[in-house]
Amino acid sequence: MEVIKHLEETARAVRYHVIDMIYTVQSGHPGSSLSIVEIMTALYFNYAKIDPRNPLWPDRDRIVLSKGHACPTWYACLALKGYFPLETLKTLRQFESLLQGHPDKNKTPGVDMTSGSLGHGLSIGVGMALESRLSKRNFRVFVILGDGELNEGQIWEGAESASKYKLNNLIAFVDKNRLQMDGTTYEVMPMDPIDKKFEAFNWEVLSIDGHSFPEILWALKETEKIKDKPVCILAETIKGKGVSFMENIREWHGKAPDTAEYEKAIKEIGRVIL
Amino acid sequence: MNLKKASMPTRKAFALRMEEMGALDKDFAVFESDIGYSTYSYLFGESYPERYFNMGLAEGNTISSAAGMASCGRTVIVCGYGVFITLRAVEAIRTYVCYPNLDVKFLSSHGGLTAAIDGVTHQATEDIAYMTTLPNMKVLVPCDTLSAKGCFDLALKTPGPVFVRLMRDPLYEVYNEGAELTVGGSTFLRTGKDITIVGYGDTVFQALEAAEILSAQGIEAEVMDAYSIKPFDREGFFTSVKKTKSCLVVENHQRRNGLGYEIATLLLAESPVPFDILGLRDTFGESGNYNLVMDKYGLSAACVVEAAKRITAKK
Repeated sequence: MEVIKHLEETARAVRYHVIDMIYTVQSGHPGSSLSIVEIMTALYFNYAKIDPRNPLWPDRDRIVLSKGHACPTWYACLALKGYFPLETLKTLRQFESLLQGHPDKNKTPGVDMTSGSLGHGLSIGVGMALESRLSKRNFRVFVILGDGELNEGQIWEGAESASKYKLNNLIAFVDKNRLQMDGTTYEVMPMDPIDKKFEAFNWEVLSIDGHSFPEILWALKETEKIKDKPVCILAETIKGKGVSFMENIREWHGKAPDTAEYEKAIKEIGRVIL
Repeated sequence: MNLKKASMPTRKAFALRMEEMGALDKDFAVFESDIGYSTYSYLFGESYPERYFNMGLAEGNTISSAAGMASCGRTVIVCGYGVFITLRAVEAIRTYVCYPNLDVKFLSSHGGLTAAIDGVTHQATEDIAYMTTLPNMKVLVPCDTLSAKGCFDLALKTPGPVFVRLMRDPLYEVYNEGAELTVGGSTFLRTGKDITIVGYGDTVFQALEAAEILSAQGIEAEVMDAYSIKPFDREGFFTSVKKTKSCLVVENHQRRNGLGYEIATLLLAESPVPFDILGLRDTFGESGNYNLVMDKYGLSAACVVEAAKRITAKK
C-alpha cells in the first residue's frame, strides 16, 4: 500500500507540473498529457530499469512516447526523477530550451528517442527491441501510443513486425482516452475493437484501468510471463484526468488554461507533499 | 567509347562490399523491405542472418525501426528502391533519422532513368531533391563498381545519415583500384580547357562520350564526376570553371532542384559563366530501352554535345 500511496502522490506532483508548465508558456496539450500520468509515473517511479545519473546507460530500458505531444508529462517525470532541475520545466517550448515542443532525443536528458509526428513510435520500439536482443543487453522497451494515433497505418506495420520477431521485450501501452483532435475516436475514425486487432496481429493484450496503479503494476508484472509475443496494455483512460473541467472535453486537447482556470486546476489537483 | 563494360550494376557492387565488410565490422546491421534479391542485400543476409532484418513491404516501418535501432548506437544500412525510400518514407528519414542525426545509411537503387525498363513507378527522379534538402544528410552517387564499393566504405565510416544512389543496370568501369574517394570530393575524369561538364552516376558516361565527340570538333571538355553531391566539391568545381569559363550539368533527375540548381546558385553568387542543366524538364520518364529513353528526355551523349556547343558559343 505504501508503494501505491507514494505513486499516487507522485502522480499528483506530475499533474501539478503539467498544468503549471503549460500555463506558464500558454501552449501545450493538457488533456493528452493528463491521461498518461499514471502510466508514465508507474514506469519512471516503480518499474522501468533506468538510472537518472546515467541517462545514456546502454542497458537501460527504453521509453518511447509515441504520442509526443503529451511530453509535458514526460518532462515532469524526468525532472522529478532528477534528470534535470525542476525549474527547467518552466522553459517548456521556449527559445533555446532543453524542452522542445515535441520530444528531442539530442536536447533533453532522459529522452530516448525523438517523437511527435504520430505513427512512428511502435516501429522505433521494434528497432530498439531488436537491438536489445542483438546486443544481448536484454533491456525492455515501453512505447506509449494514443488511441487516435492508431489511425496511422504504420502502427500496424510496426505491429506485424513485432509479431514476426516475437518481441516479448516490447510493451505497447495504448492510452485509450477516446478523444482525438477533431472529436471522439468513434466519430473521426472508429478503431474498435482495438484488443481484437492487436490479438489478430498475434499480440498478447492486457486490458486495464489506466489510472489505477494496482492495475498498471499488475499488467507490467504479467508482461514478464509472456515469452513469445509482444504485449499491448490497453489502458482505459480519461482525457484531462484530474482536472474536472478538462475531463473528456475535446477542446482541452491542445489549449492552455487562463489564470482563473489555472488556479481552479491547481486547487483540484491539491497540495503536493513530495 | 573506349571504356570497359561493367561486370555488374552499382547496386550489386555496393551490396557485395557490404557483405565483405560484414566480416571486418561485426556491428552494423542491415534492414530490407522485401527486395533483397534485387538490392542484393540477401548476400549479407545469408552470411549474417542475425544482423539482417527483412521487414517486408513496409518502407516507413523499416526506416523508423532502423532509426530505433540506430538510436541505441548501432549503424544500420537500409536497402531499397529510391522512389519508395525517398518518397513513401521521407518523413521517417527527415524526423527520425536526420533530425536526431543517427547512423542510418541508405542503399538506394534504381536512381533516375537507369531503371528505364521498369517505368515511372520505379524511376527515382526526385530523390536527389528530397535527400539533399534534409539537414545532416550526405548524398553520394557512384558511377561504377569500384566507386560503388568506395561509397559503401565512406557511408560506413562517415558519422550520421548517408544516402547512396545506385543504378539498376551495369554501364561501364572508369575507376581504377586504389582511387581515393572522400565525402565532399570529386574526380576529374577528363581534362579540358573549354567547358566543365558535371555529371554523377550514369551521366558521367554520357559526359565522357560527349567529350570525345566534342574533342573531334575542337572543343575540349573537362568532365567532373560529382560523386559527392552533398557536400559538393566547390573548390574542385571552381578551379575547373575558372579555367573553362563555362559549365554544363547533366543529371538523371528532375532538372528542378537537382545538383544543377545547387551549382547555379553557387555560380550566381561567385562568378556567373555561360551555363545550362540537362535534366528532366518537369516531366516523368517512361518504360523502354535505357539509351532510347535517355535520348528522348534529352540526356544522351548527343544531347550533351549539342548543349555544350550552345554554351561554349556564348563565351
